[in-house]
Amino acid sequence: MSKRNVLSRRALLGGVAGTVAAALVAACGGAAATTGTGGGGTAPTQANPFGSTVPTATRPAASTAPASAAPASAAPSSAQATSAAGSATAARAATSPAASGPITSTGKMTYWGGLIFSDDANNLLSQTVKDWGRQNKIEIDVVMINQNETNTKVAAAVESNTMPDALDMGIDLMLLLSNTSKLTALDDLYAKIGAAQGGWLKGTEDATAPAKFGGSRNGIPFGVSGNLLFSRKDVLQKANVQVPKTWEELAVAAEKVTKPPLYGMGLALSNVGDGNLQVSVLQSWGGRIASDDGKTVTLKSPETKAYLEWVTGAYKKGLFPPGATTWDGAGDNNAYLAGQAVFIANTGSVAITAKANKDDELVNNTGFSALPSGPKMKISSFGPNVRAIPRGGKNIDAAKALLEYLSNPDFLNKYYKVAIYGPVLQNQAKFDAFADPIRAGLLDLAQNGTAPGFPDVSNTAYADFNNNFIIPKMVQRVVIDNYDLDRAIDEAQKAGEAIYAKYK
Amino acid sequence: MATVSRAQVPAPAQEQSEARSRFGIPWRTIAIYVTLLIVCLIVLFPIYWMLTISFKTSRDIYRVPSLFPQAPTLINYETLLLKKNFLVNIRNSFIVASAATFVSVFISALASYSLVRLKYRFRGAIGKIILLAYLTPSSLLFIPLSVLVAQLNLGNSLHGLVIVYMTFATPFSTWLLMGYFKGIPPDLEEQAMVDGATRFGAMMRVLLPLSAPGLVAVGIFTFTGAWNELLLALIFITSEDKRTVPVGLQYLITGDVFLWGPIMAGAVFSALPVMILYFLAQRYMVQGLAAGSVKG
Repeated sequence: MSKRNVLSRRALLGGVAGTVAAALVAACGGAAATTGTGGGGTAPTQANPFGSTVPTATRPAASTAPASAAPASAAPSSAQATSAAGSATAARAATSPAASGPITSTGKMTYWGGLIFSDDANNLLSQTVKDWGRQNKIEIDVVMINQNETNTKVAAAVESNTMPDALDMGIDLMLLLSNTSKLTALDDLYAKIGAAQGGWLKGTEDATAPAKFGGSRNGIPFGVSGNLLFSRKDVLQKANVQVPKTWEELAVAAEKVTKPPLYGMGLALSNVGDGNLQVSVLQSWGGRIASDDGKTVTLKSPETKAYLEWVTGAYKKGLFPPGATTWDGAGDNNAYLAGQAVFIANTGSVAITAKANKDDELVNNTGFSALPSGPKMKISSFGPNVRAIPRGGKNIDAAKALLEYLSNPDFLNKYYKVAIYGPVLQNQAKFDAFADPIRAGLLDLAQNGTAPGFPDVSNTAYADFNNNFIIPKMVQRVVIDNYDLDRAIDEAQKAGEAIYAKYK
Repeated sequence: MATVSRAQVPAPAQEQSEARSRFGIPWRTIAIYVTLLIVCLIVLFPIYWMLTISFKTSRDIYRVPSLFPQAPTLINYETLLLKKNFLVNIRNSFIVASAATFVSVFISALASYSLVRLKYRFRGAIGKIILLAYLTPSSLLFIPLSVLVAQLNLGNSLHGLVIVYMTFATPFSTWLLMGYFKGIPPDLEEQAMVDGATRFGAMMRVLLPLSAPGLVAVGIFTFTGAWNELLLALIFITSEDKRTVPVGLQYLITGDVFLWGPIMAGAVFSALPVMILYFLAQRYMVQGLAAGSVKG
């Protein structure tokens, strides 16, 4: 055997030792470098808010000073705009209970912003938070967390006691954290912001009502999300079909325009969030998930059967694109952007993507309208997104001041222009951000939409029911597994009962 | 004569069984090559699709489902490298994966040697515990690990991630190396010790060089595992400048919007180092294995 064919001991050890040393030095060095430059310390980011022994640094009340006190020159142009925008709020913050004295922080603060598709919106939010920190001489680390990962990160952070000082979240996560007493009550701040801006929109007010969240307002709403009906105007025009006002009309219209690979009903029937749109459709047929007290599952009903007959009938006619029962969360987006769906229900992201893709044909031929109504009622559900403060943090007052700063009208008007949220406050309805057609649809949704879960009670059991995708699964049982309607409903009823039993 | 008849008798039979095409190529050979071609197409098509998508405009990705880009563009690579700073993700992954690999292979080599060659109580149980540690799904461990990482102040750091990865990589490497070490006769090391080598010297001078193919194989598996790991990196890394490749790719998906062009460009970029590593190490592994096969 040739000796060359065996790795020499010296070479092996040398290689291993060298590479290990280099990699470890690089790992440690890299971390140290970023701590210094980015201001986003490595361990402190997670450990400081609750675990560190960094001495309290009490700051003068710079935050409460007028805007002229803000070091605007230090910020880029967008930051200057937001600095100016935030100045009024900074001044108002002086009178708030949360910020009536000097804003203090214990060590570096951390803020988890919700990362959305629009880079402009993400940058604007991040820069505005940094501006607030600069104005108040508070070191703050802004981390944009992908909304798809928020639940996972929060689960780990709650257990390890490394929650940030403030964070953005959806209403479902707020419900979960409120029921386990993980959030700080923000009733005073909620009332103050509402009073200053014409009051909260009724839907938002109802959706965040204290009764559902452990008796207090645990988040400051900053934007509502919900589905609009997107339709291909050019296809409808060619087929001489009007935009449908009811789900039944939609199926009829879809039948007229479906010519594979173009399908009328680009609605998900799969086990993803979009698939739960079918819960709203079922409710618009008069079907209910549970009783009025939100404790007893009442899915098995003639209304549910009528809905199921309608949706499975449409599927069997071939009005849904192939794969709609197994789509991921982007299935409807992909189908619409590929020009393979005429109607989809979407929050608005698909329109922004089409614009970003420079698909002028699609952009110019897309119409937006409210979701259709069913035989019994119109369900156009929306969910507020909120900013919240974890309980037990060391910078609660500073975090409250930050949330108030982020609720100022000038900033939010700019933010709404680049994000895809509807308004939450009465005065925001006048924002010019809501002049363009998509955002006008979101404004309509925020003003006239139905609260999350309505007419059912949006409690933890209801959220769990949806997280298990019982309704899309019920549809799949009929169209994929060839169950008859009653058998599919019985199975869904039993699955629902098992879920609701956990919360009794 | 007997030799001649043995050589002659099978020949006609072979000729009879090997029907040939009109070009004189045996059908059997054609069948083999056609099968290989189909297998290659199945294996290579996703890679080709990844490449071709990475050179398409966003509009064409959705609207022009063609095999070739109609208007080839580098915009996705530009977005990835300039706007999304993907090279930082590559650097971070390289640091984390190589550090975790080398440290865990080094520790595993010592642990495996101990478990295979030394005799002490409970070593069988320890070996099984190591296997169980490897088999525990990371989705079950991320909460306890996050508590530990926070208590040790290792959150949001690359060296913290290296240590976390070692908790998975070391049991895996140890288990694999145990099997490899068992295949090498202890007589060789005993011979070295008879000649005056210490036990450690015998391990370093005899066992490890002979185990080079195993060490390389384990190293590659560990490196690939660490390079591709998503869940723990997603949980323990928060800052943008410390994200690894899988986390960087994950952040190209926001809500229900997939940036397919940059995602595919990122997939090309992240696949390259591993492909190169496999290409280089595969050659070395074959050499080492061949050397091992003629030993003794």
